[in-house]
Amino acid sequence: MTYVIAQPCVDVKDKACIEECPVDCIYEGQRSLYIHPDECVDCGACEPVCPVEAIFYEDDTPEEWKDYYKANVEFFDELGSPGGAGQLGLIERDHPLVAGQPVRAA
Amino acid sequence: MPTDIALTPKDFKSDQEVRWCPGCGDYAILAAVQGFMPELGIARENIVFVSGIGCSSRFPYYMNTYGMHSVHGRAPAIATGLACARPDLSVWVVTGDGDALSIGGNHLIHALRRNVNLKILLFNNEIYGLTKGQYSPTSERGKITRSTPMGSLDEPFRPLSLAIGAEASFVARTIDSDRGHLTDVLRQAAAHQGTALVEIYQNCNIFNDGAFDTLKNPATRDDALLRLEHGRPYRLAPDAEEIVHDVEDPDPTAAFTLSRLRHPTPIGVLRSVRRPAYDQLMNRQTAGAVAERGPGDLAALLAGTDSWTVRG
Repeated sequence: MTYVIAQPCVDVKDKACIEECPVDCIYEGQRSLYIHPDECVDCGACEPVCPVEAIFYEDDTPEEWKDYYKANVEFFDELGSPGGAGQLGLIERDHPLVAGQPVRAA
Repeated sequence: MPTDIALTPKDFKSDQEVRWCPGCGDYAILAAVQGFMPELGIARENIVFVSGIGCSSRFPYYMNTYGMHSVHGRAPAIATGLACARPDLSVWVVTGDGDALSIGGNHLIHALRRNVNLKILLFNNEIYGLTKGQYSPTSERGKITRSTPMGSLDEPFRPLSLAIGAEASFVARTIDSDRGHLTDVLRQAAAHQGTALVEIYQNCNIFNDGAFDTLKNPATRDDALLRLEHGRPYRLAPDAEEIVHDVEDPDPTAAFTLSRLRHPTPIGVLRSVRRPAYDQLMNRQTAGAVAERGPGDLAALLAGTDSWTVRG
């Protein structure tokens, strides 16, 4: 079980969650942030600080955004488990589900 | 007792909702322990987690093994009984700085001295978290808390110095959020025959947030930490001479010196020496006595003639 970042994060990337995460498992893609499913320790610190309520406990992800669980998992298919997002910084790509979203106007 | 049992970290997660404050370091430790357990190759019914009282002591609920949320400070005593009666089990104690060093200080030192086959995980957050933020036996002097509004006056314990003073055969330190290091230390502790004390620096993000930030921050940690590895050289200060780290050194002097060091802060295994484990000695002694004198008769002993007469 893990926490999942869903559609409301796309083109927002507030990053308040990154500050809160005690194990540095929230990675930055081009248009969204992603939680590493194996590095996440389920502590829940990120969920209440998200200003756009994009973060859900896996089981509680709203039906319309259920696919974002897969997006958070598959984003790391190439990366494996780097063991900390800070050292990587911006990763200039997105999962196809995120990349396919219409651009959100600021 | 490794076997070919194939388990996954998920097998060690219980069905209980984990109830620590969001962001607590305990979550990271729980995930690391659950991630490591399959390596042991031990069936879940042969693993026991015993805890005392405190935030950390909720740990057994979340492990899908046997466990006991026991009496404040008394987890080492209960685990001692269990490890002696059932030497086939893998027995782990989970405790905190208050539970282990204040309420249960005596139990801890005697478990270490006896070298019972226990693995003690001491979550040190340098505060009483469950009771909402009073200074603990490891809080730094001058700490301002609800119970010490003008600053605490007590000199803190250094758990690893205490453990070495109590003749501990295995002493190590690690950090909650460094999963790789924590797992490596758990691996070495699990392989040790006797009592292993692992101090885990654990962030209480509610009542003592950031206590170990300099040890965790990528910008400062390389200077702040001294990463110990057996057989590798280290220096106590930048201009000091090199010492080759020897965890098996029977003389505890070097390990004790490391346990006093604050800048940099040593992490890793400080000491790991071979010494007979109490449970083995006890069971051998019992078996020898039974072989020599027969199995004994408790009822006969209680009703026996070996008694005192009290005169008024």
